[in-house]
Amino acid sequence: MTAIETSAARVIGRSVPRREDARLLTGRARFLGDVDEFPDLQHIAILRSPHAHARIRRIDTGPAGRLPGVHRVFTGADISALSRPLTHLLPLPTIKPLEWYALATDKARYVGEPLAAVVAVSRAVAEDALDLIAVDYEVLPPVVDAEAALAEGAPLLYEEWGSNEFVSLSYRSGDLEAAFAGADGVLRERFEHHRVIGLPLEGHGATGRYDRRTGRLLLYASSQQPHNLRTVLANVTGLSEASIRVVAPDMGGGFGNKQHFMREEVLVAVVARHVPFAVSWLQDRTESLTASIHSRQQVHEVEAAYRRDGRILGLRARVLADLGSPALYFTGAAPAMVTASLLTGAYDVQDFAYDLRGVATSKCPSGAYRGFGQPQAMFTIERVVDLVAEALGRDPADVRRLNLIPDQPRPYVSATGARYDTGSFGGQLDQVLEAVGYAGFRDRQAAQRSRGRHLGMGMAVVVEGTAPNLHVVAGRFGGYELVRMTVQPDGHVSVQSGSKSQGQGHETILAQVAADVLTIPVDHVEVRDGDTDQVPYGMGTWGSRTAVMAGGAVTRAAHALRAKMTTIAAHMLQSPADEVTLRDGAFHGPAGSLPFAQVAGAAYLHTFLLPPGLDMGLSVVMAYDPGNTSPFPDERGHLNVAATYASGAGAAVVEVDVSTGRVRVEELVVAHDCGRVINPLIVDGQIQGACAQGLGAVLLEELPYREDGTPVARTLARYHLPRFADVPVVHALHGETPSPLLGGYRGAGEMGAIVTPAALGNAVHDALRPFGVMIRQTNLVPREVRRLLRAAGVEPDAAAYARAERR
Amino acid sequence: MSRSVRCAVNGTEAHLQVEDRDLLVDALRDQLGLKGVHAACGEGACGTCTVLLDGRGVRSCLLFAVQVEGRALTTIEGVSTAEALGPIQRAFADCGAVQCGYCTPGMVLAATELLSGCEHVPSDEEVSAAMVGNLCRCTGYASIVRAVRRAAEELLGPA
Repeated sequence: MTAIETSAARVIGRSVPRREDARLLTGRARFLGDVDEFPDLQHIAILRSPHAHARIRRIDTGPAGRLPGVHRVFTGADISALSRPLTHLLPLPTIKPLEWYALATDKARYVGEPLAAVVAVSRAVAEDALDLIAVDYEVLPPVVDAEAALAEGAPLLYEEWGSNEFVSLSYRSGDLEAAFAGADGVLRERFEHHRVIGLPLEGHGATGRYDRRTGRLLLYASSQQPHNLRTVLANVTGLSEASIRVVAPDMGGGFGNKQHFMREEVLVAVVARHVPFAVSWLQDRTESLTASIHSRQQVHEVEAAYRRDGRILGLRARVLADLGSPALYFTGAAPAMVTASLLTGAYDVQDFAYDLRGVATSKCPSGAYRGFGQPQAMFTIERVVDLVAEALGRDPADVRRLNLIPDQPRPYVSATGARYDTGSFGGQLDQVLEAVGYAGFRDRQAAQRSRGRHLGMGMAVVVEGTAPNLHVVAGRFGGYELVRMTVQPDGHVSVQSGSKSQGQGHETILAQVAADVLTIPVDHVEVRDGDTDQVPYGMGTWGSRTAVMAGGAVTRAAHALRAKMTTIAAHMLQSPADEVTLRDGAFHGPAGSLPFAQVAGAAYLHTFLLPPGLDMGLSVVMAYDPGNTSPFPDERGHLNVAATYASGAGAAVVEVDVSTGRVRVEELVVAHDCGRVINPLIVDGQIQGACAQGLGAVLLEELPYREDGTPVARTLARYHLPRFADVPVVHALHGETPSPLLGGYRGAGEMGAIVTPAALGNAVHDALRPFGVMIRQTNLVPREVRRLLRAAGVEPDAAAYARAERR
Repeated sequence: MSRSVRCAVNGTEAHLQVEDRDLLVDALRDQLGLKGVHAACGEGACGTCTVLLDGRGVRSCLLFAVQVEGRALTTIEGVSTAEALGPIQRAFADCGAVQCGYCTPGMVLAATELLSGCEHVPSDEEVSAAMVGNLCRCTGYASIVRAVRRAAEELLGPA
């Protein structure tokens, strides 16, 4: 891309006010539940399994169907007759074959699995009818724990598999035997990553209507990937993609949870296809907590060979991913593959091996959540580095500096083939340590300990793959983005993007990118997304991809339109095109200037002014694929899934109340480098918000199950989201090392969620070091911290805990 | 049994025709079209559905519609006109306190209640304590605290 002249006041890099905010602040946004264009709208409620594992012998829907106000009741048998099955779309050779329908047909495999659907005049009547459905269950033993699920004789969720293993993968790089033979010590540890949920405040849902007159299905869905959902719906319903329109309206968060194609979304589409009215299902909070998308549950067993100076020579890891029900697009297997392949983190460790097993259990399906497997990888490697330092009695910062990937060369090719194009990891570590006052911290810590206060400092350095191409780990979707851009006759610009904002401010940042190229005011650019009728295809928003992918597509489209308008302007100015430039919203040539809007108007309204042979109008559909990724592993098994990488470092100071187990985060410093920043206000918000989610995921949130497979956290009273005062103001240090890609962007959405758990885990360990408490788990909610303290012989103060609970 | 409920909503007399079990949140959304009232947890735990009842913040998912007979309600639609934002809304926009926006109406109303009873600009801790019942999953709260304090400065003069 050649350098271009733009307006003197650049709009990239400025905190342009968000275009979205006015409607969101006045209650005039349109979320899924606000869609009110269907006067004949009817409502769906879903009967869900109360058992973790049960054979469905018979379902009697007769009395439910006769309840006044009920239109129809659908069972798995009905839906399987009306639709084709869903699949996980994973192209891995070692994966078990698996197909399923929107409603379970033969067995229920988790509490909450959908079994039947009632369509009625209101949600309340539909829920009344659920009580009238009689199901004859043969209750089977649950498989709650992933390790137990692999044991000989474990109950089988899918008898035809012969085991509960869904996928296994192995990878070897370098000479691990030599690394371990030459080591001065070997660290062997086991880390447990617990189950949490992204839990956007607006739940999943869908509203659909089939128009018999046109033969078209319209489905509104709160989906991060509306075009991909359209493809899935076409497969399932048998309708052509041209006959389906998916619209994702304003979204109340997504965080990866809405990256999956939900059985309920498919259910609404299939039902809508076969009833003469519009139908809607909106997830309630218990459904979202127990029967949507959980994340992160893994067990890591690692062996790290190290030299006495702290250099890590080799790393061997066994990753066990508890997938819950694998009946989900790409399931938790895809994030687990990312975990395994990035386990060496920001460190130069070339001798590396992993064995990964993804296991089906009788729990809620697991899948994507902000960070996509990377929070687990970084937590584990960051704990390993700290524990190596501890074993050697060395400063963990020094051990990091010894092991970090050096600043040159770039790209650095990791043991698994990831091609890191980042800035300096060591520089970011130094930044956060200085900002947090590491040099003076140990004295402060000692002074506080002598007063019975337990402060801890934890650091972490991380790498994050962004703008991924997920052919291998997430089926066919990923890799590029498409936009349609039109310069209107009045010079205003319409952009339709295949990406889909869930709150990240895309209407603003993509307008900034377009305005920058076209040198027009940002508020002359209107960005829309989430409508499959408006742009041919799109990959949606996930993997911190939109700035890179949609930003790149907008840049290309704007350049194409700029070039065409320059040709028109040159003709109108009777000047050679190479002597005409666009600057500050006008085309300037040797013989005069033309306002942007006048050239736009000529392209539509005064076409006699156009050069002979030039097409009327100013509209393009443009894609951007940054390349740089491999869709499939090469002959060595090397695979680079991310078009670029962001880097980051974190330092946290915590205080642990050993009488209650509560961890208070006193300070959290995060250095991140997301490449060129489009809008600092929006990036700051992404960092602060992602750190809050990272904090919640270790200190507050958990999804325990009882032994019988019943989920414990069924409401927000039991699932503790971070509140005001739980989250400190994150001290963010911004780096802007441009990526080699168009625009220089990397992606900003996930870093906070990746670095925070690792830094907090190390900080809590540091705080509790005097008690001999080892942190080998991500679950550091107060009850777990008390358990760890008790196991170390410290008896927490029950009365103090009760007081704290009443706060 | 269907009942008639009369109340004032955003300064205008409103008439609701509801069943006993109908929740206020649903009546406001479905009968009056006030879609800015968002439901999120259905059990009063998240504050998303906050509306002001005679000036006090309440959870519209925890009230039956029949309970508001004769009362005055304010929803986000009544805080400002569509064309011009009020001072709290402006501060939210300026401070980056909106991301997905789903919790935003409840946040703005909780802030409205807080600032209507404030004689001085509240501290960060006072804002957090007053609004702790409202959850946000996107922002990590820092920008909301900043926005509420900035609005307070505009409304009450600097701290």
